[in-house]
Amino acid sequence: MAYRLPKKGLDQTLRAWAEQSKVFAPQKREGYAQFLPWKAGVELLLDEPHNTRFPPKAFLLPQSETLLTYNRKLNQLETPTLQISPRIIFGIRPCDAHAVALLDTVFATQENPDPYWRARREQTILIGVGCNQPATTCFCTSVGSSPFDHAGLDAIFTDIGEAYLVETFTERGEALFAGLPQAEANDEGQARSIQQQAEAGLTPAFATDNLKDHLDQIFDSSLWNEFAQSCLGCGICTFLCPTCFCFDIVDEAQRDERVRNWDTCMFRIYSLEASGHNPRPSRAERTRQRLMHKFSYWIEHANQFGCTGCGRCVRYCPVGLDIRAMLRKAAATPSEVVHAN
Amino acid sequence: MTELETKIRAEAERLLSEHLVDVVVAFRKEDAPLHPQPAFFTQVDELQDLVYNGLCANNLANYLTRHPQETRIGMVVRGCENRSVNALVVEKQHTRENLVLIGIPCEGILDWRHIVALTGENVLSVEENGESVCVHTRENTFAFSRVELLHPSCQRCLHPNPISADVLLGELKPEGDPELMRLRIEALENLTLEERNAWFRHEAERCIRCYACREACPMCYCTECFVDHTEPRWSESGVTPAGMQAWHIVRAFHQTGRCTSCGACERACPMDIQMTYLTDKLNLDMIDAYQFEVGMDTTTQPPFATLTLDDKNRFITRGK
Repeated sequence: MAYRLPKKGLDQTLRAWAEQSKVFAPQKREGYAQFLPWKAGVELLLDEPHNTRFPPKAFLLPQSETLLTYNRKLNQLETPTLQISPRIIFGIRPCDAHAVALLDTVFATQENPDPYWRARREQTILIGVGCNQPATTCFCTSVGSSPFDHAGLDAIFTDIGEAYLVETFTERGEALFAGLPQAEANDEGQARSIQQQAEAGLTPAFATDNLKDHLDQIFDSSLWNEFAQSCLGCGICTFLCPTCFCFDIVDEAQRDERVRNWDTCMFRIYSLEASGHNPRPSRAERTRQRLMHKFSYWIEHANQFGCTGCGRCVRYCPVGLDIRAMLRKAAATPSEVVHAN
Repeated sequence: MTELETKIRAEAERLLSEHLVDVVVAFRKEDAPLHPQPAFFTQVDELQDLVYNGLCANNLANYLTRHPQETRIGMVVRGCENRSVNALVVEKQHTRENLVLIGIPCEGILDWRHIVALTGENVLSVEENGESVCVHTRENTFAFSRVELLHPSCQRCLHPNPISADVLLGELKPEGDPELMRLRIEALENLTLEERNAWFRHEAERCIRCYACREACPMCYCTECFVDHTEPRWSESGVTPAGMQAWHIVRAFHQTGRCTSCGACERACPMDIQMTYLTDKLNLDMIDAYQFEVGMDTTTQPPFATLTLDDKNRFITRGK
């Protein structure tokens, strides 16, 4: 369904939601956009071309999370009861919501669902705001998404000037807008034209035809050494990435807790084995892993790229390693012909 | 291409073509605006990509420890980088004879975050013209004076000139005012204990433990960082207040007598966390207590790395 929400009615809508749920919306703090609890009177950042600096995946997969506690005296394990109240993430960008949908293929599978992810996901409603003017670092259309992608969202807003066109995709999304007037044909027409214009404004950042096969073929290329030369081996690109989901489980023995922390393939100790052997001994193997996972292994896993083109890794890499340029260079690297014997 | 870039390329070309070095470490033109990349030139024909401008934000001395001592390295160094190189030579991380330092008197690094905060995200190019800087975005053009865009560490810089470069390109700059760093630290010291604690917690607890500050720092070259040790375990690894505070305070203390106040840690941080207030305080302590300034030569060990028989030992109290 499509509704029309005048911009001056947004505050009232959020106020009504906040009576039922926790509402988070993008606001500026410490000089950058963050998802913070909405309160009456706060200033929202909805028309910036870029998204929040820290990815909203943390609402569903917190950077550190206690999985269980143990009682040494009783020799017992205790699983914490997750008390997660209903939450609405308002103003999430389609790239970040698309990432949530991708992560569902990891954490919300039929065979092996992650109870922590599922508990949070069930309680979290994602209301997106599409991107009328994607930033110069955005490349969603190159990786199978778009500035008004619906994936993962319960509803999406399109800024049509005086009002938003609200399109709902799920029952729980629909329920949030009951009572709003239905959109008129010209609202929808205006929204479509804005959406098409935004999409048309994004030019392909790199070639994706045959990308997986090509990457597989250049696995042993010296290209990875070239990237590794300047790569610092920090965790910025992966921690700010909305789709990176690797974690490490450690015992915080002083608190009798078993904790799951985000981990990153860019760290030396990520793949370090207890024997001292490291199958990814240098930054070359580690930068390769990051690209191969996103653009080859994700295809095997879900037939989609594990990248939604949000551009955070491009904007915040401290040595200016731009994933788009890396993939263009990879595409230009001739695949090595492997001869038998 | 600027006049300075032409000179740097010519020098790099001389070093490579006369086989005086194996690699020239400098910057290459950016893929994404605002971020020239550290680059490693081994062939003369690659030098067309070499750039040098105010957005070159990394401390290139960071790449010294990635090469074996035998590698002959030509490196573009500004004041802070030259002193970092010296500090690394003191710590025997490279042989000075195998280094050719191409010194550039530094006009200060432009803070790309500040540029983005002032002009918006869609920067297409930045033009530097002496003291003025012009930023072209997708929507607009903005004019600034260089000084308002400088990274805070560069605003407080004491030694913009390379002190022991083998080749010096460009005009020497005036030395900085030592009071600027001192005033900032004194302002913090004048806060109450609770206020200082709140300041520290506020900065440390935004940390996402990506360790970009560590990786961007030339002096953080340990093969295994204390936070990566598992036996014994020195700090919590999660994003708990205890873990984040432990990281920030211990990282700073490990820099005592080793940090050149280049600010590369802050420029790398994705969460805009301030860190130099800790290291600058330690640097001032080193100056006040030991008259020691980091990286001023290639032989003087940092005070905490030495033991002499006339050490004052004021901190040792006899049991009663």
